[in-house]
Amino acid sequence: MGEDFISYELKEFKLFEPLFRWARKKSLWIVAFCTGCGGIEMPPLFNARYDLERFGMMPNPAPRMADLFLITGYVTPKTLKRIIITYEMMPDPKYILAHGSCPINGGVYWDSYNVVKQLDKYIPIDVAIAGCMPRPEAVMDGIQEIMRKIESGEADGWKRYRENYEWYRKNQDELFGEGWREKDAKRWLAWL
Amino acid sequence: MFDWKLALEAIGMIIYATFMGFIFMGIERKAMARIQRRVGPPIYQPLIDTLKLLGKKESISHGFIYDFGPVFALGASIAALLFIPIANFQLFSSNADLIVVAYLLEVPMLGIMLGAMSSGNPYSAVGVQRGLLTMVAMQLPYGLALIALIQHWGTFKLSNIVALQQIHGWSITVPALFLAFIVFDIVFQAMLGLEPFDVIAAPAEISMGPMVEYGGKHAALLFTQHAVQLFAETAFFAVLFLGGASNLLELLVKQIAVLFIAIFVASIYPRFTIDQAAKFFWKWPTILGIIAVILTMGW
Ligand code: SF4
Repeated sequence: MGEDFISYELKEFKLFEPLFRWARKKSLWIVAFCTGCGGIEMPPLFNARYDLERFGMMPNPAPRMADLFLITGYVTPKTLKRIIITYEMMPDPKYILAHGSCPINGGVYWDSYNVVKQLDKYIPIDVAIAGCMPRPEAVMDGIQEIMRKIESGEADGWKRYRENYEWYRKNQDELFGEGWREKDAKRWLAWL
Repeated sequence: MFDWKLALEAIGMIIYATFMGFIFMGIERKAMARIQRRVGPPIYQPLIDTLKLLGKKESISHGFIYDFGPVFALGASIAALLFIPIANFQLFSSNADLIVVAYLLEVPMLGIMLGAMSSGNPYSAVGVQRGLLTMVAMQLPYGLALIALIQHWGTFKLSNIVALQQIHGWSITVPALFLAFIVFDIVFQAMLGLEPFDVIAAPAEISMGPMVEYGGKHAALLFTQHAVQLFAETAFFAVLFLGGASNLLELLVKQIAVLFIAIFVASIYPRFTIDQAAKFFWKWPTILGIIAVILTMGW
């Protein structure tokens, strides 16, 4: 993490925890990061037919305000770098919902040199939905599942990421090579 | 001597305004959803959102000014609220409280910009530039509308304006002031940050504008600020043009009426680019405002 900002971890108020859990479940904001084919299937979730705003969900262009990250399809290493950075920018109780078979095991791109086969090795996934592309009903079912998990406190991807950071970091570095953040940031300097 | 009654009244008013402001935000979202044939979130959704933002376990800060910006903005909107006559209560008043409120309603924008600038995010910087240009552009018609109003009623005191309207009829029934009302309504859209003039936040265009780096508790503070601001602005509008109110219910009806005009306009117009917004503000509302001022001089 950079030097120019302070990040504090806040104490957990045990007494209000049920209230906060209910609030988290009822207002999941999605960071609008569309990868792969699922980018097409995300807008229909928010229009008149399958209105996800009923559950208090809102697509949000800023990662700092988001709670839920929808991985909507295949992930290439180039996208994965951005996904990891976005995920790390989100403040703490944060959840990942992967849909489609590509994030689970590579899907139809099992033979590709350029698709990440198992996303769970790089960032923690809370709920995954199968299907190539899942219907909006299936996505809504996954969202119901994640709401149930938040209520019961099982959706702990952010905790796993914090506790097993070494492991995730090791996998990421294996894929991209050490120091990829700096290298990627400096990549365009030569072309300016 | 510490005035307990005043302090209690102020606290009660702030709580009422915050709560109603959140409900107004909910009404805004619900009405927009109904216009698009959606079910929409429950009306108390902004309260849940704020609660969730407060329940975040991590918070990012870019330094002292970054923390100070939202607090400053919230303080300014609360100060504006305390000067406005809400039904029978007006806690503070001075000789020229119209000017005080008109400018206190602008200050929160500056607070947000101040915090946003110190985050060092280029999106915030673009948002701040647009925000300041919108503010500069809307001052001219805003000022003209207020001048027309002051010239007609001949007083700077909000409570006097309410009293005069109760005797002579509402401001909008006067032809010259009706023009001022139209001008103020256009400016109001920009003050609320609603659609034709939402160049400041511009979701999807420049991420979230100044708010892009705010998350967690800071965002909760900004949400609260927006709620208070919404309440104060609609109340100010109702007091200036719709004849104030003698009880909270009447005020509420007028505020919601004002809010619905804003929502209906916002949900059918796309966003202006910043140069169009500036050009627009300096053209039609300004012309109307000048006509209104000249007409009020004639009478
Ligand atoms: S699972 Fe199917 S629809 Fe989804 S990204 Fe992969 S190929 Fe596309």
